[in-house]
Amino acid sequence: MSIRGIFDDIFLLELSIAGAVFVVITVLLVVFLVRRRAGAGRPASSRADNIVLEVSYAVALLGIAVFLVVVTAQANHRQQQMQAQFRGAPDVVRVDVTAFQWCWRFQHLDGPASTTGTCQEDPATRPTLVVPIGRPVELRMTSHDVVHALWIPDLALKSDVYPDHTNSLAVTFDHAGTWLGRCSEFCGTHHPTMDFYVRAVPEQEYQQYLASGSPA
Amino acid sequence: MTTTSAPSPRPAPPAGRGTASAWLTTTDHKRIALLTLGTATFLFLVVGVLAMIIRAQLTLPSQHLVSNDMYHGLFTIHGSGMIYLVVTPIAIALGVYLVPLQVGAPAIAAPRLAMAGFWLYLGGALIIFSGFLTALGPALAGWYSYPPLSGSRYTPGAGQSLWIAGVFLAVLGLILQAATVLWTALLKRGPGVTMLRMPVFTWSTVATNLMVIGSFPSLLAAMGLLGWGRVFPQLFTENLWNIGYQHLFWFFAHPVVYVMFFPFVGVVAEVLSTFSGRRFFGYRATVVSLLVFAAFSMSVWGHHMFSTGQASNDYYSLTSILLLVPAGVEYFGFLATVIGGHLRFRVPMLFALAFVPQFLVGGLTGIMVATPVIDYQVTDSYFIVAHWHYTLAAGSLFGIFAAFYFWFPKATGLMLDERLGRWHFWLLVVGTNVAFLPMFWLGLQGMPRRLATYLPGDGFTTANIVSTVGTAVLALGVLVGVVNVVTAVRYRRRPAPDDPWEGFTLEWATSSPPPPLNFDDDHPLPPVRSFAPLLDEREHAGQEGADDPAEHGALR
Ligand SMILES: [Cu+2]
Repeated sequence: MSIRGIFDDIFLLELSIAGAVFVVITVLLVVFLVRRRAGAGRPASSRADNIVLEVSYAVALLGIAVFLVVVTAQANHRQQQMQAQFRGAPDVVRVDVTAFQWCWRFQHLDGPASTTGTCQEDPATRPTLVVPIGRPVELRMTSHDVVHALWIPDLALKSDVYPDHTNSLAVTFDHAGTWLGRCSEFCGTHHPTMDFYVRAVPEQEYQQYLASGSPA
Repeated sequence: MTTTSAPSPRPAPPAGRGTASAWLTTTDHKRIALLTLGTATFLFLVVGVLAMIIRAQLTLPSQHLVSNDMYHGLFTIHGSGMIYLVVTPIAIALGVYLVPLQVGAPAIAAPRLAMAGFWLYLGGALIIFSGFLTALGPALAGWYSYPPLSGSRYTPGAGQSLWIAGVFLAVLGLILQAATVLWTALLKRGPGVTMLRMPVFTWSTVATNLMVIGSFPSLLAAMGLLGWGRVFPQLFTENLWNIGYQHLFWFFAHPVVYVMFFPFVGVVAEVLSTFSGRRFFGYRATVVSLLVFAAFSMSVWGHHMFSTGQASNDYYSLTSILLLVPAGVEYFGFLATVIGGHLRFRVPMLFALAFVPQFLVGGLTGIMVATPVIDYQVTDSYFIVAHWHYTLAAGSLFGIFAAFYFWFPKATGLMLDERLGRWHFWLLVVGTNVAFLPMFWLGLQGMPRRLATYLPGDGFTTANIVSTVGTAVLALGVLVGVVNVVTAVRYRRRPAPDDPWEGFTLEWATSSPPPPLNFDDDHPLPPVRSFAPLLDEREHAGQEGADDPAEHGALR
């Protein structure tokens, strides 16, 4: 199970519940709009309350709320534990991430490799973070100026990035590929192009990259 | 709105009441409210036009109709304008107009305070918009204006300083108005109007204004902090002040979300029950749920900060998700009222009915974003933009139009056109859903909010085209509404009777528009025996002596 997998599960669960609630309420509404229209000739009820029904209904709602709170808090803890495990792993790859107006800098702690860019509209100006497949990666993020946020949509990975404060995200890339990352906290003039890539490569290629300090 | 010289069947009012200076120094709560509501409605059109420019820019990839910074100014003024200068003022000023009437009071408590509130609000609005005249343009740090971005180091323009001052003044004005409405409902009720005989709308304003008093001062403090930081930018190099600002801001800004829809829950309840021809079902449960909801609203602010890495996410998620209980109770009342009704589909009823499923979408997605593992992914994406446009545009705005069509005849003595009203309604339903539904999908596809433009390869193009088409339809609907008002006021062909809808609450017992002191010899205050006094009278007249309203749950 990955961080994205936990998001997918809980999103699907809540989407199903929400969909069912929406359908029930909308169907009820439409059916009674037709049945109770003035032309149908049914007189209006003068009943103003049904306390027993209302209280039982509220208790049922409370049950649903408690169920959701428990299930989603557990999911949150699973995500946090997963990240803690990644951070504590002996083979963790540590990268210091600095966000600035308007791009990113990635500094590897295992070697001299570091990369940055200018993040203009041309994708070639975006920096690429190179990581090894299969090993946990910890991103320790801070900002040089304003609040930014690091977001890799396909991995459901996001955290705000503050000046004078370090946040951390940990994740494992289990297959080779390239992912798009974005700044998702509005940060000024060139916020829209503040993108980067993460590229996961085999261990050997990663070691070469670390040693040479530039992408293979 | 323009009620300056509505023809009246009653003897001519005292000379001078129609002059501009009489309006601008009035102590009549109805006029104070109409000034505020009129200003807010005008600003709704202005900030709506800003949204049209935003949508035009986003329709196709790599467009630069306006520069990035102008785009940032547009969404900042669109968002903060709708929140601080349109929906919140309407939510509060609707109470300024209606609450004294609904509780049978001749006037609002402390009318000069309410009027001072209007002047502060108007001044704040002018100051915010004056940013467009400055060299570097309007404020551009978004409606929540986080430091350090909103500090003078990163946003040097005078527009940002003006915005801070303008928001401070406008919100201070709204606090004053809210206090007078609360004071009126709690302490100035007319004979026979006990707390549990106040209409649902009045109760919704009580809950609303309690939240205003409890949470809005926090925004004043937040704006003070931002102002201080603009003078001493060093302040915002420290995390403490940056994150501290976010706490101060969201302590205000979550309750304000409820301030922006509670009164419309009240409006929808009144309209549904009137056009269902029956008293609102579950009055007591709804009153309790509104108050519980208001109390809880003060404990959920941190759910806006799940992704900060600096908040207690489990706690804020718990309190936020529990809110589904009072919300569900309110929905039960809506549905049960319709289920036992004898329904008339007039224009206010159409808007109120559409509110029910549309606002539900906002509420259900609200539970999703109160869930940390979902919020980490969708926060600051278009999913969030879709979520609160469903609460504010598909929800509150429909409530606003329901209120507009419902009480316009009362306030002006003129009926709006039913056919144009239906066009307005259907265009708005289609436009709203076509504009905002695709945004959920855009967010899940990875489109961040506040994106001045995107690339063809991002895959955002189709949904953005659909959304822009929807916005155009929505705008056309609003335009039909404007035509409806302009023609009604200009030609005055349809004078409104005192009670055009067979209403239940006290404002329908007086003239349209009401006399300066609300009730007079020709329109005395009727006896009040429940929260639907005019319905009691009608039922009583219908079955003289045969029935006691208490037997079927009417409150005495
Ligand atoms: Cu950024």
